[in-house]
Amino acid sequence: MNTAISLQGIIKTYNGLRAVDDFSLDVRSGTIFGLLGPNGAGKTTLIRILTTLLRPTAGTARVEGYDILASAKSVRRLIGVVPQENNLDRYLTARENLVLHARMHGLQAGDYNPRIDELLELTGLAGRQHDFPDTYSGGMQRRLVVIRALIHNPRVLFLDEPTTGLDPQSRRAVWDYIQTLRSRMTIFLTTHYLDEADTLCDRIVIMDHGKALVDGSSTELKEAFAHSHRYLLTFRANEERYEQTLRSLPFVRELERSGAVFRLELAEEEYLKPLMDSIGGPDIRSICLEEPTLEDVFIELTGRKVRE
Amino acid sequence: MFRGAFTIWGRDMRVLRRSLFSELLAVVAYPITLYLAFGVGLKGYINDVDGIPYGMFIAPGLISMTAVSAAFDESAWSMWFHRRVQHTIEEYRVNPISVYDIIIGKIVSGFSQGAIKGIVVAGVIFLLTPFRFPAVHLLAYLFFIIFGSMAFSCIGTMCGTVVDKPENIGRIQGVVIVPLIFLSGIFFPLSSYPHAVLSIVKLLPTTAIFEGARLALLKGVMDFQYCAIAVFTAAVAFAAAVWIFNRKIEG
Ligand SMILES: Nc1ncnc2c1ncn2[C@@H]1O[C@H](COP(=O)(O)OP(=O)(O)OP(=O)(O)O)[C@@H](O)[C@H]1O
Ligand SMILES: [Mg+2]
Repeated sequence: MNTAISLQGIIKTYNGLRAVDDFSLDVRSGTIFGLLGPNGAGKTTLIRILTTLLRPTAGTARVEGYDILASAKSVRRLIGVVPQENNLDRYLTARENLVLHARMHGLQAGDYNPRIDELLELTGLAGRQHDFPDTYSGGMQRRLVVIRALIHNPRVLFLDEPTTGLDPQSRRAVWDYIQTLRSRMTIFLTTHYLDEADTLCDRIVIMDHGKALVDGSSTELKEAFAHSHRYLLTFRANEERYEQTLRSLPFVRELERSGAVFRLELAEEEYLKPLMDSIGGPDIRSICLEEPTLEDVFIELTGRKVRE
Repeated sequence: MFRGAFTIWGRDMRVLRRSLFSELLAVVAYPITLYLAFGVGLKGYINDVDGIPYGMFIAPGLISMTAVSAAFDESAWSMWFHRRVQHTIEEYRVNPISVYDIIIGKIVSGFSQGAIKGIVVAGVIFLLTPFRFPAVHLLAYLFFIIFGSMAFSCIGTMCGTVVDKPENIGRIQGVVIVPLIFLSGIFFPLSSYPHAVLSIVKLLPTTAIFEGARLALLKGVMDFQYCAIAVFTAAVAFAAAVWIFNRKIEG
């Protein structure tokens, strides 16, 4: 397998602040890679370095084997970029925006026109293609930026929070589309939606303060951090009595009750049997293990405190 | 080669074409007002300047002024807008074109706007007045319009590249550009300056562009010093604009 993106010891400082701190990474061709992290973690800075917009303070980076500094133009030929903020030209119609992009890639009208038609059709924008982006909703503008990045069939696609501000339907539409691109290109995306990373990404890195904290598939991350043992317990009757019992058990760490449903956390997995022994069987309707989510992993790693 | 520059210039001209009529109306109104106020309104009070009727004396300067101001405005505001508001410069920069393509495209757009607007104002003034000039004079005059618009387009681009707050672009216009233009003798002969000041004024690039243009149009004279200063200014401004843009944009 080839390496599509490779970073070695990348550092970026803004007036003394280390936005990216000695970051190294290799992303294999054809994967969907997700970079997660709280606000200000350094995700956009990394994308700006990889897309040749920003010079790193130190370190080297390669995209499809081309050095981002020495062969910036070759890198730019191969990448598609969806920036965090839409940067459409509001003096050009939607279609003209796409055509301008195609021309900058040196495509000929005979090649780009059918491609633009196809992409507009696919994203449901064909009917509005001669309108100015100012008259579009936020979600439509976002879709336009995404297809603009795809006109020239990039080998590596960078998506900085592609679905922020989209309604659930549009998010799903973008996800579906990203899934169809899976085999054809390498995708590097950042997101604050953990379900999005869970659904789409083959590999996830969570970063904070410019450094990578963990690296792995969604399942691997959840397993590695699944040392909490949370269960949902539902009773048929006598909830009051069971609540008393549960509260008296020393190995039940946290207990929340809503009606007949109890959510509890055990100190260790082996306390499951003692738990069952002490509450008996007849009134239990169900008991199930609550799987940790990516969000649990994220919060555990990056803390609960809101970033400035 | 320069495919990107050509594409960006094409984009700017397409946008200009959409609003051409209102742009021209706005840009023609100011010099024509000045022309009517000074050239016609003051006609009875001002004698001929060196044997040239006053209206005719100020006409070349008004045309040059339109051209260089339009070039400065377009370049400064367009660069600022694409960089700070729309962030389209970033979209340009992730495409396989060079930084030179972007800066050259923008400079040529500013220059084109200056040249187009200058020519339109010239047309209107010639329509309103009985003045006629030989074709050779017009050609010599065009030389100054071209290098003047070029220089001011580059200066505007530099402002749009380094200035982040829009009000500061307005201030530069008010404090640097307008005085430079007016001091170079649009409305009065340079001989009005005291001798000591004159030698300094003659070295100003705007003097070269305005006075050189007037000599060319009215007398058909190509003053060597003025030509040299105009070309030199355009060349230095171009190099500086490219260098500054390169430095600023690469962060
Ligand atoms: N142009 C800049 N000048 C100074 N500091 C900057 C600049 N751009 C980013 N930073 C700082 O670098 C750090 C990383 O910012 P970055 O935009 O990469 O974060 P992010 O992970 O993309 O955050 P978000 O999720 O909010 O988009 C932040 O502390 C930010 O304040
Ligand atoms: Mg960001």
